[in-house]
Amino acid sequence: MYALFALGYTLVFSVLGVINFSHGAVFTLGAYLTFLLIGGNVGANGLLAGVQLPFALPFLPALVLAGLGSALVALLIERVAFQPLRQREADPLLSLITSLGAGVIVVNLIQLLMGAESHAIPTSSLGNLPAALSLGGAKVRTVQVVLLAIATVFVVALTAWIEGSRSGKALQAVSEDPTTAQLLGINSSRMIQLAFGLGGFLAGIAGGLVGLSVSIAGPYFGIGYGLKGLGVLVLGGLGSVPGAVLGGLIIGLAEACVPADFSGYKDAVAYGFLFLMLLIRPQGLLGRVLATKV
Amino acid sequence: MDVSLLQQMLLGALLGLSVYLPLRCGQLSLASPGFYAIGGTVAALLSTRWPALGGTGATYPISSVLLEMGLAAVLTGAIAAAIGTVVLRLRGIYLAIATIALVEILRVITLNLAITGGALGIFGIPQPFYGPEGYALFTGALLALVCWLCDRLERTRPGLAMAAIRDDELAAASQGIDTARFKLLAFVLSAVVAGITGVVAAHFLNSWNAKLGNFDASITSLAFVVFGGSRTWLGPVLGGLLLTALPEVLRPAGDLRLIVFGLVILLGPLLVPQGLVSPERLQALGRLLPRPGPFGRQAP
Repeated sequence: MYALFALGYTLVFSVLGVINFSHGAVFTLGAYLTFLLIGGNVGANGLLAGVQLPFALPFLPALVLAGLGSALVALLIERVAFQPLRQREADPLLSLITSLGAGVIVVNLIQLLMGAESHAIPTSSLGNLPAALSLGGAKVRTVQVVLLAIATVFVVALTAWIEGSRSGKALQAVSEDPTTAQLLGINSSRMIQLAFGLGGFLAGIAGGLVGLSVSIAGPYFGIGYGLKGLGVLVLGGLGSVPGAVLGGLIIGLAEACVPADFSGYKDAVAYGFLFLMLLIRPQGLLGRVLATKV
Repeated sequence: MDVSLLQQMLLGALLGLSVYLPLRCGQLSLASPGFYAIGGTVAALLSTRWPALGGTGATYPISSVLLEMGLAAVLTGAIAAAIGTVVLRLRGIYLAIATIALVEILRVITLNLAITGGALGIFGIPQPFYGPEGYALFTGALLALVCWLCDRLERTRPGLAMAAIRDDELAAASQGIDTARFKLLAFVLSAVVAGITGVVAAHFLNSWNAKLGNFDASITSLAFVVFGGSRTWLGPVLGGLLLTALPEVLRPAGDLRLIVFGLVILLGPLLVPQGLVSPERLQALGRLLPRPGPFGRQAP
């Protein structure tokens, strides 16, 4: 799950070399959109109180639509918060702030429209599946299996696309050096938009999936994921897609291994990894060593 | 003007200065809220658990607050020196991420330790002043002192060395500047300012919990500096004052106020990329943000 979330993050980072703090907000948006599209009923607070869409989609189409909606918003954020700064060749520090501002706006719009209470995406939206499957004797929640399947599909597809296709190669070229890529006939700003759109799509999907497996704990719940996503990124290597997957798996497993007595410290695991990793091997497990420019 | 708000604005300005100090040396550190939280926790623990500090008067003695500030300064300075030697080897965004991780680890620890009161925090921190006026005077004096020190720093050799490191670290090193030492100095100073601010904030807020030093605080305090300008100490002070006041000033806007706050953070760097340091820009901001409500249209 962390892996899927971190993928979109890493896409944007690898292309622009900046951290997109609005990613967590787009993730939240994806969760809420999925919830609405499967016919979820908005709670008593918020401007849209009591509103329910006249139709209820099954989970998968709702998830994909929510992903597309999130991608649109991510593109809009790119346009407003990143593009003007990039054209001016401003300090990359500024885009930390503008993307955060965009994130604050998205999260608070959600709160304004939908209220602050938590929602759960009912597992019944998956159709008639048994609540648990037994795999080799061990009982596994069906939701988890579905999650894993969807996440795997996306990771494999994305890796294949980046490594195999022309536009994937172009994206890699832009992340190496946007100016040179532009000189070689690649539309750099188009590729950057593509990265943002894809990143937003993945964030939205991840949001919907987390909403299904855990719940949507209010409009701010994406921010915690956003920070842990950073841990995943750094652990795997900033800008590396397989690294993001590996980092996600390691942090997910490590959190699961925290003994119950210390469950309060679970949240610190990702940050602890992050901190140690930065000190020992800043380029991450699967990252390339960055040459310092003189 | 509401004195409590003024007090919060002054605290915001101090936090802004704390983020500004390493940034002036070219180091993007978001650790300030972590040290702020340490300072607050020190004050909360000392003043509630150590009766001897309470004195005999009706209010908590200011000398005890000063003692807490001293202890917090020593503690945060020592922690910063220890962490800084390791962390400051990282550059740019990696340093920022490492310091975010640091702040979050501290937050989780505070949340789980029994002595810091867990999620609820520590309550009933004694009051050295009868009302917010005393706090505002005290914090105002502290802010003036820190500003004066920053001003001195910017004119002396260490300050010039830091500016040189910001502009070009390699060139600075080749001129014989001990870059590691000055970066560490900036980091430690930043931590001390944040720690002292935390002590004052803990007394002012009357209770202290883990939420007060989290990621939001990191980013908000960074916004103070980016918004105000990172070239002179006046920038973060101004940014801290204005951005702390903004959500409160926007309170008449009701539910929309955080959205407007987000808009300001989003548009600020786009419209004024250098921050608000110069007087012309200040006037421009005055035109952009007419102040509603009881404040009329007077200048900030």
